[in-house]
Amino acid sequence: MLLIDKLSYQSKLRYVNASEKLVYALLTLVLCILSRSVKVAVLVFAVNGVLTVGKGGIPLFRYIKLLMIPLAFLAAGTAAVMINVSRTPMDAFALQAGEWYVTGSCEGIRRGLGLCVTALSAVSSLYFLSLNTVMTDILCACRKMHFPPLLMELMLLIYRFIFVLFETAFSITVSQQSRLGNRGFRTRIRSFGMMGASLFILALKRSAALYDAMESRCYDGSIRVLSREHPVKTAEIAAIVLYGAVLVLVWLLCG
Amino acid sequence: MKHDEDWVIKAENVSYTYDGNDKKALDGLDMKIRRGAKVAFMGGNGSGKSTFFLCLNGIRRPDEGTIYIDGKPVEYTRKGLLDVRSRVGIVFQDPDDQLFSASVYEEISFGILNLGADEDTARKEVERVIEELEITPFQDRPAHALSGGQKKQVAIADILVMHPEVMILDEPDAALDPRHKRKVQEIVERLTEKGITVLMATHDIDHAYEWADEVVLMREGKVLRQGTPYEVCTDREALEKASLELPAVVRIYERLKEKGMLPEDTPLPDSMETLIDLL
Repeated sequence: MLLIDKLSYQSKLRYVNASEKLVYALLTLVLCILSRSVKVAVLVFAVNGVLTVGKGGIPLFRYIKLLMIPLAFLAAGTAAVMINVSRTPMDAFALQAGEWYVTGSCEGIRRGLGLCVTALSAVSSLYFLSLNTVMTDILCACRKMHFPPLLMELMLLIYRFIFVLFETAFSITVSQQSRLGNRGFRTRIRSFGMMGASLFILALKRSAALYDAMESRCYDGSIRVLSREHPVKTAEIAAIVLYGAVLVLVWLLCG
Repeated sequence: MKHDEDWVIKAENVSYTYDGNDKKALDGLDMKIRRGAKVAFMGGNGSGKSTFFLCLNGIRRPDEGTIYIDGKPVEYTRKGLLDVRSRVGIVFQDPDDQLFSASVYEEISFGILNLGADEDTARKEVERVIEELEITPFQDRPAHALSGGQKKQVAIADILVMHPEVMILDEPDAALDPRHKRKVQEIVERLTEKGITVLMATHDIDHAYEWADEVVLMREGKVLRQGTPYEVCTDREALEKASLELPAVVRIYERLKEKGMLPEDTPLPDSMETLIDLL
């Protein structure tokens, strides 16, 4: 998560209007899932790869590594679709074990692979958004689309303070280590527990201090902020619409 | 009451006790601050500086006594508090307690929007302050990637954008390296030139002596001594009570005079620079 955050600040597509990127990501995501078409999925996956790595300048090995994370879950999930245990063997493969077979059908394998590709390209759409858009810009785009304000305020605060919390946790851990707090397994567990407890208390204190600081700036219960505007470009909108149309065509004609 | 002085802040017999504490954090405190003054607040931890600052901003309501801002007693109604907080701004000691948004631009826009400014005005003000405080080079970085000094600059911008009459800085140079310390001091200097009254808590008596128009020594929720740097920083008894030492300039000056290396009638120099020039 911290890596994605860092990369998003370096992306060359960072200053492209966030609403555009959000719409693009959601559009491709929805089309992938609705169509269930392998062709659409492959196309989406490829275009996302080109945009993120080629245009956005995210290092290729980072991108591949990030895609590996959901791949592990997908492999486990699709294995369940492709592999059956039954008394009768099926057409694709069958391994005999006593009276039982570990077996799978061609249909099942096709479905499993299709599922895998669809899911992976859906994930690549989300990666496109999160690797090329700064969190605060995503929030700003969501605010414009009238997401619930309470949710948006919570996300704003969480995003800021997750880093403060990490920093605090890190410095507590370092100070524990410097006093041999990680000598053995038992001490390590104990140190971790104590760190958690003090983190909780510190978080409470910090939230009280934050509230004071916000009140001193006339906070009245709702957080209103302005973000820097990155203009919407007509060419980009046109490209997104065109791309969406192509995807729909591929789905209806070849899917 | 004298009318020839323009007191921007006046505190009369202010007491405050935190919930669950026996000891009073503020104990019958009296104070007057002149408009446009540079005031250094000194005193050990727990002497009541921070509590007093929170009272000046209406965050804490004194149990007893009254605080006057611009001659008007603070009213603890929604409107009254809005008025006080638009006049008096606090830059908190730890910027991580103050910066609530990861985006510098959003962060700075918060205060001015709360004052009811429309979007265009707010944008103009935010951009002006970003430029004025030299935040431009790191304005697009997230708060968690800023250095301590940069966070402090943003924290000051947070308040400056609201055009306060009084700006309170709670130990602004704590945990800053010398370069950023100087930068913050420069910024503070500019605030004063604009006519903003600056109250600054500090533990650095040398800096207080050279910078301030007025020094306030606090101890146990009371004002121990208030006066010009000359008066306060040569009052050994008061300084000792506040566990402070004489400023280096004063010590060297006195020793030099004792040794006959400075003429008897030399006035107390107002800074280390002046002292060096004398030699």
